[in-house]
Amino acid sequence: MKITALLVLKCNPDGSDPVVLATAMDVSHFGYFQRSSVKEFILFVARTVGKRTPPGQRQSVQHEEYKVHSYNRNGLCVMGFMDDHYPVRSSFSLLNQVLDEYQKNFGESWRTAQADNMQPWPYLNEALNKYQDPAEADKLLKIQRELDETKIILHKTIDSVLARGEKLDSLVEKSSDLSAASQMFYKQAKKTNQCCTIL
Amino acid sequence: MPVKAAQTSFRDRTFEFQSVAERLRKTVSSQNGPSSSSKADEQRSAVTLQSEFNRRASKIGLGIHHTSQKLAKLAKLAKRTSVFDDPTMEIQELTAVIKQDITALNSAVVDLQLVSNSRNDGISSDTTSHSTTVVDDLKNRLMSATKEFKEVLTMRTENLKVHESRRQLFSSTASKDSANPFVRQRPLATRSAAASTSSSPPPWANGSPSSSQLFPRKQDGESQPLLQQQQHHQQQQHHQQQQQQQMVPLQDSYMQSRAEALQNVESTIHELGNIFNQLATLVSQQGEIAIRIDENMDDTMANVEGAQGALLKYLNSISSNRWLMIKIFFVLIFFLMIFLFFVA
Repeated sequence: MKITALLVLKCNPDGSDPVVLATAMDVSHFGYFQRSSVKEFILFVARTVGKRTPPGQRQSVQHEEYKVHSYNRNGLCVMGFMDDHYPVRSSFSLLNQVLDEYQKNFGESWRTAQADNMQPWPYLNEALNKYQDPAEADKLLKIQRELDETKIILHKTIDSVLARGEKLDSLVEKSSDLSAASQMFYKQAKKTNQCCTIL
Repeated sequence: MPVKAAQTSFRDRTFEFQSVAERLRKTVSSQNGPSSSSKADEQRSAVTLQSEFNRRASKIGLGIHHTSQKLAKLAKLAKRTSVFDDPTMEIQELTAVIKQDITALNSAVVDLQLVSNSRNDGISSDTTSHSTTVVDDLKNRLMSATKEFKEVLTMRTENLKVHESRRQLFSSTASKDSANPFVRQRPLATRSAAASTSSSPPPWANGSPSSSQLFPRKQDGESQPLLQQQQHHQQQQHHQQQQQQQMVPLQDSYMQSRAEALQNVESTIHELGNIFNQLATLVSQQGEIAIRIDENMDDTMANVEGAQGALLKYLNSISSNRWLMIKIFFVLIFFLMIFLFFVA
């Protein structure tokens, strides 16, 4: 359940290579010597997929053990490299969020970008870190998870309530026995009191 | 004459009669000489135009008849759809075929009207009124056929909805895939039906006042571009529908998964509500048990207190009885002393 990279590209509708606007990559789990080549590889795949995503469409491409999710909206394309276990929906909602944030921060200035922009955008980096857990990105997933936990808790509660019921039953029996015994006791005491007044 | 353009259960021999009359006229005119040949030509051209008109009208009537037959078949198919074994493909094919027929018939009727308007110079008013009546009749029949088509389509959508609801009653998760394609296609189909029905009223709305007016040339010019506009519009819509049909399945999976997740959440909340209700029932039942225990304990305490009181009294009576016994002993000893005194 890992996000390896998040990228924002500008995709031209005429099919030329997209221009990279922002990237955030987490290649810590590759060996030290492989990291730069992995970064290049990610950029290349991103450019290819971005070129082939028509505007207004979402796409998911399977590549070896990664899934590349891309969402192109009005020429601004945001892509995420995730592994197979990451749920598709949360990835698209994450891409939506990143897209909105990017447009809020940079407005329309990206439309004129021609060269790759390699300046780090801190929001993207912290998004990469924060959203490693898909539940963070996708509110639906979070709600579902909390509801499931609540359901488990409720099941346990019901079990304990049933045990309480059993104990209450045994208590009721014991208390009725006690009340019968005390009644016998009372009658006995009254009887001994009645008969031996003379003696 | 209008009867001729209706469903032909009898043979149409007017054409033969007219060809025979022409031949006779030819022989007569060949006898008369070339002076009347031009008049015969005129008459022949008038006759050919007239027969052309009639031929077209009969063809259109036949086409309308076939279309209404296909429509009846479609209505039967749409009525008998069950939850399983849905003849969807046939229904869709039939729908497409009927739509094509209706559009073709529509254009044919407009052509017919043009033809009838184009040869209106120098012919008797009876022929004019006859041709306009024929054209109006054909238009009316086409309109009724289109209305039936629309009704059949709405019935089909309702049937589909009923099936979907029934399917969801019995199987909770299975049918979400099948629901969406229908929901996607229905708007396209009804939109196309609405397009065809919206395009067919305009020629009538424009056509009938034009036929009643006495300026056929002007209306010719108007109805021609109108026809072209309709064709262009229909083509555009068809193209758009095709494009939308392709793009919609791609967005569908994303939207579908979102819809599915939402439904899961909703069902989970529902179950939670259920569990809470059960919890409340259990707790209220146990509350009653607790009250019973409380009453039992109260009874026990009352009993024990009573017993304690009795025992205390007993104790008191026992301890006080000693005094009485001493007094009785004293009385006895007194009696003994007296008895001893008497004896000794």
